[in-house]
Amino acid sequence: MNALRTLVAASALCTAAPGIAWSTDWELSADMRLVDSDGQRSLFDGGFGALRYDREHDGVQIGRLRAALTQPLGDVWAVKLDASYYGQDDAHPLGVTEAYLEYRPYPIDGWRTRVRIGAYYPPVSLEDTASGWSSPYTLSNSALNSWLGEEVRTIGIEGNLEWLGTRLGHDFDLGMTGAIFGWNEPAGTVVGTGGFSLNDFQTSLPQGYVGGRGAAAFPEQPIFHEIDGHEGFYVGADARYLDRVTLIALHYDDRANPTAVDLAGNEAWDTHFNSAGVRVNAGGGWTAIVQWLAGTTAVVYSGEAYSYPFHARFALISREWGRNTVSARYDVFGIESNADDNLGAEDGHAWTVAYIFNQSLRWRFALEWLHVTSDSAARVLVLDEPAYARENQTQLSIRYTIGSDR
Amino acid sequence: MPRISAWILRLLWLCPAVSAMAGTLSVQANLANHEPFAGAVVTVSGAATHAPVAPIKAIVDQINLAFVPDVIVIPVGSTVEFPNSDSVSHQIYSFSPTKRFKLPLYHGKPYPPVLFDQAGIVTLGCNIHDRMVGYIVVTDATYFGRTDAHGAWSVTNLPRGIYHVSLWHPLLRDSVTSLDRDVSITGEEPATTTVQLAQALRPAPLQATARSRDEY
Repeated sequence: MNALRTLVAASALCTAAPGIAWSTDWELSADMRLVDSDGQRSLFDGGFGALRYDREHDGVQIGRLRAALTQPLGDVWAVKLDASYYGQDDAHPLGVTEAYLEYRPYPIDGWRTRVRIGAYYPPVSLEDTASGWSSPYTLSNSALNSWLGEEVRTIGIEGNLEWLGTRLGHDFDLGMTGAIFGWNEPAGTVVGTGGFSLNDFQTSLPQGYVGGRGAAAFPEQPIFHEIDGHEGFYVGADARYLDRVTLIALHYDDRANPTAVDLAGNEAWDTHFNSAGVRVNAGGGWTAIVQWLAGTTAVVYSGEAYSYPFHARFALISREWGRNTVSARYDVFGIESNADDNLGAEDGHAWTVAYIFNQSLRWRFALEWLHVTSDSAARVLVLDEPAYARENQTQLSIRYTIGSDR
Repeated sequence: MPRISAWILRLLWLCPAVSAMAGTLSVQANLANHEPFAGAVVTVSGAATHAPVAPIKAIVDQINLAFVPDVIVIPVGSTVEFPNSDSVSHQIYSFSPTKRFKLPLYHGKPYPPVLFDQAGIVTLGCNIHDRMVGYIVVTDATYFGRTDAHGAWSVTNLPRGIYHVSLWHPLLRDSVTSLDRDVSITGEEPATTTVQLAQALRPAPLQATARSRDEY
């Protein structure tokens, strides 16, 4: 971790160098929702429901209030900041979801490097390609990417090397990414004790959490802490065929010591996973995405070692014509548990259908229906309720955006 | 009146001589499926020495996250201006050996035109918006242009001689040299050459959409 601190300090010194004052790009948006839900108490309210909005939280809701800023520092450095408020009753009110310094020099002979220092998402999601790490296809993320939004953030330094073959007359671009990071060792808590959920919530830094405040069945889980002093790492690769096909793969390991606990009682969860995905952008506005992620999270609690292998995958198909986008997605997710009572185990699948109308650069209207079926041991063991649940959520969204480029 | 008649006679006498000295070259480009190949860049170089083609001042604009036009052909020594008409900043570069340059992050028209003083192909990119790609063909050929919607391009008044005809397009999979050929202009009748691709073109880049503006 000392090496990481040195790198972050060195990068801070670099940015102190004088640079040309380039114009700031900014964006503010308000996304209001009208929600109908029969969902069980959600993770965000301390329950084990698999939706963002439960039956106690439907009607008119704040979907997301967002402020984003990109400040160039000279020609090839930039600071990027994204902050959001999700209107959750008991979540941290306004928090930073991503904040980093980016170094992106010009390519040389077809090779380009990129370095990011700060807090940002690892390159896993193929669906969250719109501004603010949101999906241009649906309102709710897949279970896979919802989990990333809840628990995973790279807080450290990432390097990326790309070979821009398509600029050299070839059909492919290739890239490799590596990162070392820290301050995210509770990652695994939510999936290990709460299960998967399908939502568009992103836990904010530095003090964001998932869960219900007070004596909740699923109490608040702080996400961004360094507990054992071991830095984690990931390595990834990507390949693109023209602008048609994108392939990505990543191996992630937080290298946490699962016996470590900090003074506040936060546990380090030993979490590692592999992910892979493919996105095909065909002619006629068609897009198809398949993503897969599987890993294990483990913790030692009261001398007992608990292990939770988990997996999530989805397939999405979308068609865009004019200002319209229609998408359908099927999700499958599951968690195993080595606990004697099977606490933590879950199986589920979900269907999502969404229509998005980008009326202009400022106005976006969206309608989404989401049905999730899941079987969770925690509902029986903690709540004394049936394990099996079928939940439905329909959302109408109106989003208004202003910014330096609209 | 007699003087005018004499001039007309002289002109009539000259006409066959002119047609014997100059000819027309028509190039027909066809895709692998024998459909017309529109937009292909055609360059024609003569064996004989010719006065260099005068340089031009061209403009490649940036509109809706795209270079407009996405392909231009210019003579060696020409300059190109790269205004940015978008509200977002662009950062234009080329690492092509023909002309390496970069235009740091900008809006509007803050930079002087860029001089292209060497023949070759220059690939343009934006270091912020990777989907933006454009091409500048810098040529020392005497005659050049792009095929029309019917895959046709022609040039008139070519002096007699042997001409080297080349074809290029950013989506070509055929090797460029396999499409080169020499054509003889005798001046007696128009010369026609058909360039037939053996392989299908690469898929054209997907069009930017209302949604892609919002994407990374």
